[in-house]
Amino acid sequence: MKLRVIAAAVLLLTAACSPGSGEGGGGDGKSFEFWSFSGINQKAAVEEYKKKKPDVEVKLTEVGNAQETAQGLTTALAGGKVPDLVLIQGDDLPKFVEQPQNFVDLKTLGADEIKGDYLDWVMSQSIAKDGQILGIPTDVGGMAMAYRTDLFAAAGLPTDRESVGKLWPDWNAFIETGKRYTEKTGQPFIDNAATSVFYQAVNQGSQKYYDDKHELIYSTNPHVKSAFELGIKAAQAGITAKQSSFAEGWSAAMQQGKFAALAAPSWMLNAIRSNAPETAGKWDLAAIPGKSGNWGGSYLAIPKRAKNPKAAWDYIKTMQSPQGQLEHFVTSGALPTTPSVYQDPQLTGRNEPFFSNAPIGKIYPDSLLGLKPFYIGPDSTTIGTEFLDAITNVEQNNGNPATAWDDAVRNIKTAIGK
Amino acid sequence: MSTTLAPVPVAPAEPPAPRVGTPLRERLAPYAYIAPFFVLFAVFGLFPFLFTFYVALFDWNPIGDHTFIGFDNFTRMLDDPRFWNATRNTVSIWFLSTVPQLFLALLLAHLLNHARLRAALFFRMSVLVPYVTSVAATAIVFAQLFDRDFGLLNWLLGLVGVEPVDFVQSTFGSHVVIAAMVTWRWFGYTTLLYLASLQAVPRDVYESAAIDGAGGWQRFRHITIPALRPVIIFTVITSTIGGLQIFTEPLLVSPGSTLTCGAVRQCQTLTLMLYEQGFGRYEFGYGSAIGVALFLMVVAVAAVNYLLSSRIKADR
Repeated sequence: MKLRVIAAAVLLLTAACSPGSGEGGGGDGKSFEFWSFSGINQKAAVEEYKKKKPDVEVKLTEVGNAQETAQGLTTALAGGKVPDLVLIQGDDLPKFVEQPQNFVDLKTLGADEIKGDYLDWVMSQSIAKDGQILGIPTDVGGMAMAYRTDLFAAAGLPTDRESVGKLWPDWNAFIETGKRYTEKTGQPFIDNAATSVFYQAVNQGSQKYYDDKHELIYSTNPHVKSAFELGIKAAQAGITAKQSSFAEGWSAAMQQGKFAALAAPSWMLNAIRSNAPETAGKWDLAAIPGKSGNWGGSYLAIPKRAKNPKAAWDYIKTMQSPQGQLEHFVTSGALPTTPSVYQDPQLTGRNEPFFSNAPIGKIYPDSLLGLKPFYIGPDSTTIGTEFLDAITNVEQNNGNPATAWDDAVRNIKTAIGK
Repeated sequence: MSTTLAPVPVAPAEPPAPRVGTPLRERLAPYAYIAPFFVLFAVFGLFPFLFTFYVALFDWNPIGDHTFIGFDNFTRMLDDPRFWNATRNTVSIWFLSTVPQLFLALLLAHLLNHARLRAALFFRMSVLVPYVTSVAATAIVFAQLFDRDFGLLNWLLGLVGVEPVDFVQSTFGSHVVIAAMVTWRWFGYTTLLYLASLQAVPRDVYESAAIDGAGGWQRFRHITIPALRPVIIFTVITSTIGGLQIFTEPLLVSPGSTLTCGAVRQCQTLTLMLYEQGFGRYEFGYGSAIGVALFLMVVAVAAVNYLLSSRIKADR
């Protein structure tokens, strides 16, 4: 993961050095360049597309992780060579939605006709102020809690996913369960408090850092404050392995069973599989405390200066149709954004062998049903990171829990100037 | 350098030159030979450099508006606790890496210069091995050595009953990890610099000192160190400039690969903050302002370099 930072930096440099590639045109319609990020297996989707359209050439580049890909795209848009098609993570999207002039309005290619296929609240996040449609959603997160059945059994906790879900109707009950586990085994219960508790809880409100008028309310929204306090409570309960998500130690701890549960949106399943392949069959998935929520999701967009916007649009239309997303779900597990397939037996019947045959086709769509969507703004990522850092500081670095909230708010003010 | 304006030089009156004037092409040739450097420098050095100063005066969104705001980025920077934190971290990491590095190099150079050392070339060359190792590989290995739960170092500490230390999460600890990496990577290079300088000291100086009864430590103090003084100053300055620009190591040991290098920015250096502002938050103007500040610091160090080295000359 870390090496990719360097790879991305090199790409940024080359992108920055190459002169502008001229205004977009129709292109030959037979080839296009596609920037994606790593870890979500876009290769599989491209392979599927090639089977359908053998005469089209797709040049896929995995730039780096999602954030690095957004950075590469920014530099490219600022004056480098742009791809014809780019995958943007939901959290990075608002910055681009604020500057829609950099992208093709997908309505000009026919996005209006297919707009209704997608979850309203997911689609609305990629619509700019003037009504321009910037991107088509490829997947949503949905939420679940992944847990180790063998470790739960050793701690005397139930192991079947129904009973486990009942252990934690809410986050306080979840933390209590963690205390029981840790008392019994002497081992930490979850990977960390910041992402596995705060980040999940804060995403379960009807408003987060912005209100419906897009005004900042991160410091006054009681929901954010209570989610933050849950995070601090979990950090102080002594139930966490103090491993930051995606850090070196996190992977090692996962492989060695140093924690028994972690929050797992649908795309996390792949991370667990590839990080700890020898734990196959020892995992299962239960409902998240509070039942509903979403973490993550991505969009496909076409930069304004793309040379082959038509070929890129054909890819979007083919692969992101309800049928296309359903097929991709069956092979990769990424949850579709097209609710019309949520009742399809291919989806509802999908089980995940690595996770004790957990019915992911039911768990993840269910977690989206009670969802109250909120507005994600241009500073949401920065605000979220500062909150996460404040909790991590209490958890891993003996930070003062009493001042953590004020510190976080002050840091956010410094960072975004508001 | 316009070709039309260059006059054919008048030959000196006496003594008569063998050739009447040099053809224009030959007179321009030297400029053509050195041109590639200056052209490349102008494109990749001078232009970005001046452009940074320009961008620092703007609220510059790379994919949106560029609003002129004068020196606001600089006043904001001076009020920004994160900037001072990054400055402190940078200086601390530089100090922790330079001092042991130079001492280690000094000692090693002295030993490698020893007359009776067998396989001297082998040892001299082997100190360069860390230098040719990729910095990314170094960082990954060190991050694993210093890991709280799975690191070799904490395992050793555990054997003698010491509680595991969370190096990367603490301010001082993370600086030590980064400094250790820098030291390990650069001490061989510095050693060879010192050694090269020591080779210029005549052997008989050491020998006569030994005959006069000077012990190893006395020879080291009274011969080796004075002989190395100019090189020591040089390495202090170059490592300071390098230390001010340290980027890769803190980024790679950062928990979770974040640009803040930890929850309380405990190991975020100036270049890392510059990168965070420019490419993490897309505030190119503010990032450029930090770049300008960094440039001024390097200039200050270079000025100290100049003063010190001219004093050394005066001493001699």
